[in-house]
Amino acid sequence: MSEDLLRVPFPQRAGAALKDAFLQEALTIATTKFIDLRREAFEGFPQGDALRDRARGIKEATLQRLDHYLGLLADNVERLGGHVHWAATGEEAREIVLRLCRDRGVRMAVKSKSMATEEIDLNEALEHAGVTPIETDLGEYIIQLAHEKPSHIIAPAIHKTKGQVAELFSRELSGRFAADPEVLTAVARKELRQKFLQADLGITGANFAVAETGTLVLVTNEGNGRMVTSLPRLHVAVMGMEKVIPTMTDLVVFLSILAKSATGQKLSSYTTLVRGPRQPGELEGPEHFHLILLDSGRVRQIGGPLREALYCLRCGACLNVCPVYRQIGGHAYGHTYPGPIGILLTAMLKGTDSVKDLAHASSLCGACKDVCPVRIDIPRMLVELREQVAHEHVAPVAERMLFRAAGRLMASPALFRLGARAGRLFQRPFTRGGKLRSLPLFFGRWTATRDLPPVAPRTFSERWDELDGPKR
Amino acid sequence: MGPGVKASIMITCLGDLFFPEVGEAMVTVLRRLGVTVDFPAGQTCCGLPLFNSGYHDEAARVAERTVRLFGEAEHVVVPSGSCAWMVKTEYPGLLKHDRILKAAADSLAARTRELSQFIVEVLGVTRVESDFAGKVTYHDSCHLLRGLGESRSPRTLLRNIPGVDLVELPGSDECCGFGGSFSVRLPEVSTAILDKKLGNVEATGAGCLVACDAGCLMQMGGGLSRRASRVRPLHLAQLLAGGRR
Amino acid sequence: MTTRAEFLGRVRAEMRKVGAPGPPAAPERPAHLGEAAAAVRREMSERWPEALVRFVQEFERVAGVFHRVATPAEVPGVIRAIARERGAREILTWAPAELGMDLGPPLGPELAVLPAPPGGGELDRLRHREEAARAGIGVTGADLALAETGTLVLLSGAGRPRSTSLLPETHVAVFGPGALVESLEQVGAILEALHVDPARSMSGAVINFITGPSRTADIELTLTRGVHGPKFVHAVFVDGLGGAPR
Repeated sequence: MSEDLLRVPFPQRAGAALKDAFLQEALTIATTKFIDLRREAFEGFPQGDALRDRARGIKEATLQRLDHYLGLLADNVERLGGHVHWAATGEEAREIVLRLCRDRGVRMAVKSKSMATEEIDLNEALEHAGVTPIETDLGEYIIQLAHEKPSHIIAPAIHKTKGQVAELFSRELSGRFAADPEVLTAVARKELRQKFLQADLGITGANFAVAETGTLVLVTNEGNGRMVTSLPRLHVAVMGMEKVIPTMTDLVVFLSILAKSATGQKLSSYTTLVRGPRQPGELEGPEHFHLILLDSGRVRQIGGPLREALYCLRCGACLNVCPVYRQIGGHAYGHTYPGPIGILLTAMLKGTDSVKDLAHASSLCGACKDVCPVRIDIPRMLVELREQVAHEHVAPVAERMLFRAAGRLMASPALFRLGARAGRLFQRPFTRGGKLRSLPLFFGRWTATRDLPPVAPRTFSERWDELDGPKR
Repeated sequence: MGPGVKASIMITCLGDLFFPEVGEAMVTVLRRLGVTVDFPAGQTCCGLPLFNSGYHDEAARVAERTVRLFGEAEHVVVPSGSCAWMVKTEYPGLLKHDRILKAAADSLAARTRELSQFIVEVLGVTRVESDFAGKVTYHDSCHLLRGLGESRSPRTLLRNIPGVDLVELPGSDECCGFGGSFSVRLPEVSTAILDKKLGNVEATGAGCLVACDAGCLMQMGGGLSRRASRVRPLHLAQLLAGGRR
Repeated sequence: MTTRAEFLGRVRAEMRKVGAPGPPAAPERPAHLGEAAAAVRREMSERWPEALVRFVQEFERVAGVFHRVATPAEVPGVIRAIARERGAREILTWAPAELGMDLGPPLGPELAVLPAPPGGGELDRLRHREEAARAGIGVTGADLALAETGTLVLLSGAGRPRSTSLLPETHVAVFGPGALVESLEQVGAILEALHVDPARSMSGAVINFITGPSRTADIELTLTRGVHGPKFVHAVFVDGLGGAPR
């Protein structure tokens, strides 16, 4: 993610997002729409709950024999004439891609949507090496032209108006285009069609990889996944190692709930199963296929507290229901993956330090856990992250002292009573009309926008003797 | 049923300090239903704020205290979904390092219920005689709804108060933005979430907003008060107790 | 660079931290893969009429256009009508052997029919690419037609290039009762069986599930069709088109 952006503290980034009127409207419309679509899809699908349980079970069972399935996947891909690379870090993965480009004389690469390649900043590395990467997913294409980052896992350009897109296309593609999605889509189709046909290399991610057959699975709506894996002579896929699943039977379980969770569709327009490079006798398809399996912080979580986050299908459902994401959008999070799962993934990929603010960017309402197709208990892991932040002394000293003091207060009824009396004393100058409307220091954060009830003249404990009097 | 049932009140820190009238209303209602009510002395907090911010050692110490305090209680009734959730779901895990304490936590978890759940499930009562009247809308607090899977008992009790006209709140299952320390760590975001909630509340035309959680009531009440809204935030116990305003 | 052994070594080290939680649940799947697929075939030979009704519903729901004819001889007529509607002059098709019919004679000379070449050489590839980029319509078969979702499943391979159903603006899939299946679960069983001996059952490297036209809602959530793939998808169901596909 942009280093400049991260220099601005998270609360300020969030504040800026709150003041962006268009973003607010776009977020409300988009997230509400996705929520409604998802709800409709599952309402007409009573098997949904059982399938979600099964999906979670498959992910867990896969983790329990992960070495076996990764080995099996690699064997099968190689048997089909593909090549498998093992990248411990994002940097290694980039190196592998760049080396392939050098060896094969690649000058232009077309990419279908891949969060993994975003994660490792592949485009920047390609550009520096003199290879032109072209994003072909319409949303990704838009933000690439705009030199921005995606703001949502599924709909990357949700923060842009059609007017802004028209302006962008007109400027970058030298033309004058109307602010009409149909027109703009046609422009992108024409422009990118040329790129697909001319590109030397197609780069994809993978939604799944079936170990038993050596199959890569791409779930798309636009058709760019198919183009990218059929037209250029070289295909490279970058895949988080946790995306491997055992069998085709397992695959259809995930397919039955993935698109429904993401967009409310029964299936996306295209689900593409790719088994290696083109077969002999096949007219079209790449000559060479390379699969790069990416660790980059994932392997460490197999035995770690964020293990469940490895189940993630990258559907975006948790973003759509998160009260925080719905207010601030994806950019404010400051990292590749936003929203509830994004906080966990950021911690996984960049360490606890990177989430010392983000771990608290949640009211722990649990809506994310409710909609997750693989039932990841995100709130629980956020609390554990907060524990790490507190214990690893990532949290500010003042905060840790405050909570330790609060802990002592709560462990002692005498201190608690004292606290109540102190509160009553200190609040007197600030009480107006029976409410606290403006408090100093830290408490001002509440009273800036909300009233606070004062500590009662007599607490419930202090009143109890009277209440206890007339017994039944 | 009522007579013979003994219940201990877990008042919660927010209830004790800021909403003692809710505690009183709770006592009134339970006695009306024939329950013998007691109040173990020396209560402080269930430890949820410590737990949610990651201070688990401190939370465990508070959990231990609470488990001992309510050791003899037959039933524990809590006017807050989040605190009931804390006791029922998190206490056993916090105390798992000590076999005896863990067993005590399991026992307490089984004996503890949020108020509406206690009335409907333990007492078997779905209709409480109350003279409260007016148009009312109900907010599902997150821990009660998702943590304890409860959305029906409060609505049943509300609908069965003769004078109450219950109007469904659009987005009733959406968070109010409290989230404990979240409300002051990210006050602007918390307020933006709150504004959306209160917009929905006022659009219902209800004169009263009901919830079963002190944190939610503090947040929503704080916002309603700041905008001088005519909507009154009340706890379920207060509607059930009724009486003149 | 990290080797396979190093990578998997690290994976195993982490797995050991979790300890042995007991034997993992074996992935549920049919005990005899070929048999499960055969069972699906048997079931569908009875149930295809119901499946067809559901297929049409779902296919139309995703903006597919459905046609039904009794015999293969009526298929060219449907395609001619589609070509007229879309102003298309060139029709790309799978090889006649894969399609189950030769569209050249009935559609020509008014429409130029460009079947997939039998060979796989570089020249053929380049010429086909040019044709595919020009043709207004691409005609394929369908190995499976999934009723639950209105999805066409196409295996790539010799005589059945991938771009026939991808590059032209309109895609037309011609199939008979033998292609119909009802559920994704059944598709899973068939996929399992296909991969038991893939060298024998599949001559290509790609299996495409196609559910309606290419689409996006990336600009202000407004749905538009024909982003990169076809803008129009037609299904021509032929009662009399026999022969079991895969």
